[in-house]
Amino acid sequence: MHTFNAYIKKEILEAVRTSKYIILFVGTIFWALLDPLLLKLLPILLRSAVPVDMTSLLPQLTRDTAFINFAGDLFEIGTLFFAFTLMGLLSNEIRFKRLIFPYCGGLRPAGMVLAKYFHYAVVLSVFILIAFLTNYFYTVQLFEGGTLSAVNVMGSASLYIIYYCFLLAFLLFLSSLFKRGLMAGIIIIVFAYTMSIFNQFPDIRNYFPNYLLLKAQGTGTIFDASLVPAVAVSIGLSVLFVSLAVNRMNKIDIV
Amino acid sequence: MIRVKRLKKNYGRFEALKSISFEVREGSIFGFIGRNGAGKTTTMNILTGLIGFDGGDISIMGKDFVKNRQGLISHIGYLPETPAFYDYMNSYEYLSLMAAIAGHKTGDSKRRIQQLLEMVALKKDAARKIGGYSRGMKQRLALAVAVLDRPSILFLDEPSSALDPEGRLEMMGLIDTLKHEKITIFLSTHILNDAERVCDTISIIDEGKILLTERLEELHRRHMHPIFDIEFEQEPEYESMSLKRLGWVDDVNIMGKKLSVRVNDMDRAKKEILRELIRSGNNIVSYQVRKMKLEDIFIGMVNRDAHI
Repeated sequence: MHTFNAYIKKEILEAVRTSKYIILFVGTIFWALLDPLLLKLLPILLRSAVPVDMTSLLPQLTRDTAFINFAGDLFEIGTLFFAFTLMGLLSNEIRFKRLIFPYCGGLRPAGMVLAKYFHYAVVLSVFILIAFLTNYFYTVQLFEGGTLSAVNVMGSASLYIIYYCFLLAFLLFLSSLFKRGLMAGIIIIVFAYTMSIFNQFPDIRNYFPNYLLLKAQGTGTIFDASLVPAVAVSIGLSVLFVSLAVNRMNKIDIV
Repeated sequence: MIRVKRLKKNYGRFEALKSISFEVREGSIFGFIGRNGAGKTTTMNILTGLIGFDGGDISIMGKDFVKNRQGLISHIGYLPETPAFYDYMNSYEYLSLMAAIAGHKTGDSKRRIQQLLEMVALKKDAARKIGGYSRGMKQRLALAVAVLDRPSILFLDEPSSALDPEGRLEMMGLIDTLKHEKITIFLSTHILNDAERVCDTISIIDEGKILLTERLEELHRRHMHPIFDIEFEQEPEYESMSLKRLGWVDDVNIMGKKLSVRVNDMDRAKKEILRELIRSGNNIVSYQVRKMKLEDIFIGMVNRDAHI
């Protein structure tokens, strides 16, 4: 417990001093602000850039389309920010030999890994929640029509939170395997993007974590029985990856 | 205090430690000397629990190290050769983090940190980010971290190798201070002057093998015999041959017109050496007696062909 408490404080200090909060903020909340604005301005921008009036080719922009557009962008761009900001969570500690003193001082690897996981799980959850609510507020102000409601938005946000908590656990495990965090970051990005392919196969898609995103990017009924396997697999894999990271940090030669 | 028996460590096919054995007495300063790559850091990393080993037994404070690793680590402090910190922290924050990991109470840790910052002369710079510290300041902070938890055994890996002469002197002074606090110190170094200055026992390691482990006084008595350096007008071939036949002469080495003679009986040598040399008729240009240093023994040990 000493290690857990000490590393929670350390992670907060590190995130503040190395601007990780700001980078994650830009990757989530900033897009929530920018996305509806850009979508609203798109017809005007098109009109000024292209001599022919192309606005008739655009689909009708409602609150639903604006929200779906944001949710898609958040996954595509937010994942890059997430992966490149947090890829060195454990690998940098090992690579730069920063764990020698803590290990000699009685550090418990489980406490350190759990502190890192819980800290960033909470940070990502709060940022995602704020991003979705901010986006909802702007979408309602700027667009009309559609069935989007605050309840739907909160439901989508909760599915994103589960998905990113799973991705964080996987990234943490990969970061314990590689001395260079970049490898972990690239694998996570490739994994996140390619796994969306399984959403094309209705028979098996609800067993994959990316199904959470598919459901979250809808505006109708979000929670139904089809989500149970994806939620269970995501939570199960999160526990597995965090356990594997702890196991790895218990056995690793840190010099 | 520390007992190591037949310790082995391999990196793939490379044998880093080839069954080494030694003992470190409680409250002593144990100097572990050797060339770069001899196995010093590997030994220290094993004894501090940072890496595993492939064979042998380690007992620390009478307990088996493998079975009681976690408990024993709380009695050990370690200063690695190149200490790494969280550079965005200041030294006060870093020491507080280490105190929190060790489970110190906030009030106690504050007092202890202030005391240590004073000891390593970093009180003025306690609020500055560690990333802006000089190498010497980082080394001093590392020493403060190593002794934060009041360890019974302190491992120091090349604590002064990258420091300027002033920094080296400061570091040696700090180690001397710790000796008076009854901490057992395991000092790895290739700066032999430092080892000779503070150590009670010396162990020489080379290519993963221990060549010698002896108390410093014993080492002085048994190995550090005086050396006579004599310069002649002509090359002293004949003198060398005649001296080698004498019982009180251990070794003779010719370098041009200079002759170095290591003796085992100083009194006899002082009386007889000049008489022996004058007899040959080769005029003596200069003559001086030099005390053999740890460096001479070290070079002799690690390089069997080397002469005095």
